[in-house]
Amino acid sequence: MSMYQVKPITGSDINVDLPTCMYKLPNLHAQPGSGSCIDNVLQLSTGPYVSSDQNGEVDPALKALEQRQDDILRRLYELKAAVDGLAKTVTTPDADLDATSLSSAAMMSAPKEVAHLDSLLGKDLGALRDIVVNANPSSPPLSLLVLHGLLCQRYRVLSTVHVHSSVSSVPPKLLNCLGPRHADSYTRQRFQLGFTLIWKDVPRLQMKFSVPNMCPIEGQGNVARFLSRLVGLEPHDPAAATMSDSWVDTAFFQLAEGSGKEQAAVLRALNAALGRGPWLAGQSSHWPTLCAPAASCRRAPVPPRPPPMSSAGSRGART
Amino acid sequence: MRVSIPSLCGLSDFRGFSQVAVSNHTGRLVLVMTKEELKGASEEEQQAQSKKGLKKAQKEAEKAAKKAEKQAKLAAEQQSTDEDDFAKDRYGVSPMVQSQEKLDRVLVRVQQLTPERADQLIWVRARVHTSRAKGKQCFLVLRQQQFNVQALVAVGDRASKQMVKFAANINKESIVDVEAMVRKVDQKIESCSQQDVELHIERIFVISQAEPRLPLQLEDAVRPEGEGDEEGRATVNQDTRLDNRVIDLRTTTSQAIFRLQSGVCQLFRDTLTDKGFVEIQTPKIISAASEGGANVFTVSYFKTSAYLAQSPQLYKQMCICADFDKVFCVGPVFRAEDSNTHRHLTEFVGLDIEMAFNYHYHEVIDSITDTMVQIFKGLRDKFQTEIQTVNKQYPSEPFKFLEPTLRLEYTEGVAMLRAAGVEMGDEEDLSTPNEKLLGRLVKEKYDTDFYVLDKYPLAVRPFYTMPDPTDKVDLEKIKAYIDSFRYGAPPHAGGGIGLERVTMLYLGLHNVRQTSMFPRDPKRLTP
Repeated sequence: MSMYQVKPITGSDINVDLPTCMYKLPNLHAQPGSGSCIDNVLQLSTGPYVSSDQNGEVDPALKALEQRQDDILRRLYELKAAVDGLAKTVTTPDADLDATSLSSAAMMSAPKEVAHLDSLLGKDLGALRDIVVNANPSSPPLSLLVLHGLLCQRYRVLSTVHVHSSVSSVPPKLLNCLGPRHADSYTRQRFQLGFTLIWKDVPRLQMKFSVPNMCPIEGQGNVARFLSRLVGLEPHDPAAATMSDSWVDTAFFQLAEGSGKEQAAVLRALNAALGRGPWLAGQSSHWPTLCAPAASCRRAPVPPRPPPMSSAGSRGART
Repeated sequence: MRVSIPSLCGLSDFRGFSQVAVSNHTGRLVLVMTKEELKGASEEEQQAQSKKGLKKAQKEAEKAAKKAEKQAKLAAEQQSTDEDDFAKDRYGVSPMVQSQEKLDRVLVRVQQLTPERADQLIWVRARVHTSRAKGKQCFLVLRQQQFNVQALVAVGDRASKQMVKFAANINKESIVDVEAMVRKVDQKIESCSQQDVELHIERIFVISQAEPRLPLQLEDAVRPEGEGDEEGRATVNQDTRLDNRVIDLRTTTSQAIFRLQSGVCQLFRDTLTDKGFVEIQTPKIISAASEGGANVFTVSYFKTSAYLAQSPQLYKQMCICADFDKVFCVGPVFRAEDSNTHRHLTEFVGLDIEMAFNYHYHEVIDSITDTMVQIFKGLRDKFQTEIQTVNKQYPSEPFKFLEPTLRLEYTEGVAMLRAAGVEMGDEEDLSTPNEKLLGRLVKEKYDTDFYVLDKYPLAVRPFYTMPDPTDKVDLEKIKAYIDSFRYGAPPHAGGGIGLERVTMLYLGLHNVRQTSMFPRDPKRLTP
């Protein structure tokens, strides 16, 4: 007789299925590829790799996936059709209506930001930030003089005028064009911005600011754009911005340097535009309007009196 | 000893000498003397010797005869050519000018030899720059300072063959007086400054001859460095030039440099005089070192010693205290600095300014910078020929500046350096490489080679004029200077620049010795 006896817990007639395989892996080939590539999916779905599990039936989860895939494809096709349709409508003349609706929407969404010197010009390194403009005394940049006035109203600007050694002499009017010397000019540190105008023998107007970071900016239009952004006159909605850009280009390329025919055409356009309102590019952007007389002055044999844009200065500052 | 020679001759016997007279084919008698030592000898010896001696003597006599023949031939030729030389009195070496006679002759400057003077017979005194004989002609280039002209001696009715030969053999750098006809040329002579005319020489006299071998050749001295290396031709290095400064200074480049330097001095004086400044002369032998005891030359002064002035600083300031208000002085400055660099000399010419101001030292800075700008403008407008001449040998960009002068503050300079990647503290001094970099950055942004850096931090620039109590300067020695402040001194400021450095930087040269006529540095005391 055995010393200890334990009553059996289970019966002895249970069939134990002993495994024949030590390690089992799921069948990778049976699963379809990533759903992002449509071609891949199409290939795989028609290829020899038919998904099936151990039971030989298609997995319902997989089926749902395929269903989702098909749905996405269908929606894509629908969107493509819609975009094509829209493209057609945009190129037709009726597109203006769409543009204005777009722009007003954009205007309402974009918040108006005050231009900040640090955000525009980069971090303050503890010293006066000097804008250097090289101009040819035979064609003074009148639009820049007006913009300089606007700059002075907005910031503390130290303005200086120099004559470069490449020019032998300059009429006194050009030496005083930036106004009288500031009383505090002996301490440059007290100013936020420096504006140094150098009368030099250059083919085109040139502006230099931060030599290691910026290449020189050439052309009166481009320098005017830079300065206008500093003053905060740049319009925020794209439509007005594009229009003011195009007027600036018209002024400086066609009016100033174009042939007689081009000049006449621009003057007609100006006439029409100014007949509609006091400003060329709409209420939001006044400064392109002063580019036109500035450009036309370059063609005139006698430099005219300063353009009647002094009102522009005060109105521009108010925006 | 009697010697018999098989030729027509007469013999005579003298003590210790035997004379041989030989006649040549023209009938001329040429005496040839040979000296023989006579010693007493026996007849027999004499006999034996006389045969040998005979042969020897024969040989010698033949030699002598041949030599005599040759000499006679030459003499004959010369005589014949002398006979043919009709132009004998139209050339030659003149006796030294000792003011024995006063010739009423006008000498024309080479600069004035232009087509307007065509077909005129004129006199010119110049140096022979080059001479080249070609058959019956001799081409000379005559040079006077920066100008040179081509001249021609040709065999014809005015010049003989001997004259052409004489002209070809004149040593380079000799000074000659030439009478010539000015002739226009059809093709421009590119190698000369006077390109449209040529001189046809009728008379040529050497006033002062030069030695045949020159220590340096002027063409080599004017050749640009790169060109010399490329074509394998020589250029002259600086030490050779400085050792033979007199010849080096004759080159067109040196003439241009020092004329420009003279212009700098002239413009400095004129501009300041127009502004109401007074020129003063300050003593150079002083009792105490003005800039610190290290870099000063000591001279023995009777029973004590004295110093050579390092700058006119103390005396400029004393003049202001003496109510001269605005003064300047041009004079030598002595710095005993053992620096062998391209921009240091032990003795140089200082251009110094000092003035009293009303309320702000910027008044003085404006005055000084305006003076500099007037100097630059004057050089640009009146000395273009000289600048172009120097540029031929030492090419460089023209000097650029702004009027009024650009004035940046020290903090702006530091900000520009930081933007370019240099790390430096706010109160840190500018090292030489940083200073050079800042200069380049300013040139890039403002396109100027001259600017003012204002408001250096005090920590970096100690106030020089204040004697440092720890420096052990004997206050007794500078008592006069200190006293001048006790009896009322107006606020004043000033500055100084080195003449040689200004010229060097304006012309874009690289060594201050090129702009100092007889430079002095730790290794050079002559010429």
